Amino acid sequence: MEEQRQQRLRAQGITKKFGAVTAIENISVTFYSHEITGIVGDNGAGKSTFVKIICGVEQPSRGELYFEGKPVRFRSARDARRAGIEAVHQDLGLIESMSVARNFFLGMEPRKGLLLDVPRMRSETRRRLYELGLRNLKSVDQDVGRLSGGERQAISIGRAVAFEKKVLILDEPTSALSVRETAKVFDYMRGARQQGLAVLAIMHSMRQILDIADRIIVFWHGGLVADLPNQGLTEHLLAECIHSGVPPSQIHL
Amino acid sequence: MSHDTTLKEDDGAFIAESRTARDKVQRLLRARDSSIALAAIILVLLFSVTSGGQFLHAGIWPSILSSTAELGIVSIGVAVLMIGGDFDLSVGANFSFAALVMASLIAHGVSGLLGLAVALSIGLAIGFLNGMITVYLAIPSFVATLGTWLVWVGVTLVVTGGSTVTVLRQSRVLNALGGSVFGAGIRWEVIWWILLGAVMAVVLHRTAFGNAIFAIGGRSQAAREAGIPVRRVRVLNFMICGLCSAAAGAVQLGHLQSMASSYGDYYQLYSIAAAVVGGTVLTGGRGSVFGTMLGALILSMLDAGLILSGVSTFWYQAVVGIIVILAVAMHTRLGRTARGGD
Ligand SMILES: Nc1ncnc2c1ncn2[C@@H]1O[C@H](COP(=O)(O)OP(=O)(O)OP(=O)(O)O)[C@@H](O)[C@H]1O
Ligand SMILES: [Mg+2]
Repeated sequence: MEEQRQQRLRAQGITKKFGAVTAIENISVTFYSHEITGIVGDNGAGKSTFVKIICGVEQPSRGELYFEGKPVRFRSARDARRAGIEAVHQDLGLIESMSVARNFFLGMEPRKGLLLDVPRMRSETRRRLYELGLRNLKSVDQDVGRLSGGERQAISIGRAVAFEKKVLILDEPTSALSVRETAKVFDYMRGARQQGLAVLAIMHSMRQILDIADRIIVFWHGGLVADLPNQGLTEHLLAECIHSGVPPSQIHL
Repeated sequence: MSHDTTLKEDDGAFIAESRTARDKVQRLLRARDSSIALAAIILVLLFSVTSGGQFLHAGIWPSILSSTAELGIVSIGVAVLMIGGDFDLSVGANFSFAALVMASLIAHGVSGLLGLAVALSIGLAIGFLNGMITVYLAIPSFVATLGTWLVWVGVTLVVTGGSTVTVLRQSRVLNALGGSVFGAGIRWEVIWWILLGAVMAVVLHRTAFGNAIFAIGGRSQAAREAGIPVRRVRVLNFMICGLCSAAAGAVQLGHLQSMASSYGDYYQLYSIAAAVVGGTVLTGGRGSVFGTMLGALILSMLDAGLILSGVSTFWYQAVVGIIVILAVAMHTRLGRTARGGD
């Protein structure tokens, strides 16, 4: 395992400002293949902002990104997706007024000449979602707006998993899922790790993060305060670090 | 259970598609386009009765279709823009300005083809400007195009002094745009409208670009997260709308052989009305080209139908207003049931 571990994505001094608000400041961290990194932090700590920069949705105010060792500038999510970075965003990135199949292939539509390959969109979507365990879905032609929160989350994850190649990012992917569905998502994350992806997961459940992550990084007020292997950590220690911003090694119980 | 639940096995996909006859009928009725078509048919029947049968007389249809085509071409552009979540209030000004320039050029001996090319370029340029102002200055398009509308109306009045430009000489291009089809009652503009509708329907419903338009109108943040170049697509939508407005001006010039700055006024709001009657949602993300074409047809039929029924044309606007409200109420209801009211 260890010798296969390669550098996938490196952030160097990333800062993002929204007007007067500094959402994240001077974040430097590296993500590796064959590794699941759990990202934790309080509400508003800057986790989503950081992740949006990695996948090209937002552009950093300062700092650089390196993809597989080479400096990159993602001007849009399309650039990042072409590089093999897929994300499930906190808002799920779905469009309620569009069908399941059209949402699934949004921005990555299969074509036949100039036109959409609609039959393929429908059959591929059906197959992928079935594989992901979404077996009660009536039709891939119905609007996403008619689906439950869990079904939407499953579609969003299924989409990212379908296109992922190098990096898979999940921003609170299991918040609306049942225990069984969560286990399924965890299986997918482990499968992606097995295939050599760098997997990044933001989660609020300490139990889940300790369960799935190989490594945990902690955001606190826009800064990165801890980067730890998932060894000897407890829910209590992690929670303490998230609230105080003090690394677990310096927390005296 | 009368459900015939088929498990589709193509590519190992197993999500069931349950379809009963009742399901299908309900789906068809729910579909916006078919309810609009139904409304159009009811309108024809109604006017046939109130006009004492005159409405069914073949002689009046070429003129109904001509006005449908002129409004319809503008409306298709407006609908595309609205589906993408934007508005254009300047279409009427664009219509007159482009067609007036074209009329003056042709009247002064410039070739018809060049005149048309200039008119269409003007439409594209105005659309581009509207798009850039809206998207890059981050101004709501409603306000941005309210501004450009007034600017272009002003420019047009200054240039023409408000007078009508008439093209006295024959032009093959003008004939091909709005003249009669092989001496029949129908004019070419009707053919152009249908062709444009067919092309735009394919673009909107069967291409990745069309998918992007629906996505942006539906929720632009999600479109951005999927990697769609939101700004670029929005500017292109404005250009499509601008192009359609100028094209409509050009075919009307072909039809009337004359143009004045006031001719475009009608299209400002009626194009939005046609799109809305056709099922285009004001907040974006939903709509269709076919529905919009029917919307334009309904508005034009109202005009002729009221006259033939002996109702003062002054009532036209009031009736359109009522139809728009009814249409939105109907579409909202349909939208609600389609989203799980059942
Ligand atoms: N588009 C934006 N404009 C202005 N401020 C923003 C924007 N996006 C994020 N912020 C601010 O940046 C900070 C970090 O937000 P972010 O969404 O990254 O937090 P988070 O760690 O993901 O929180 P949560 O756990 O609640 O999802 C917050 O203070 C937020 O208000
Ligand atoms: Mg977040």
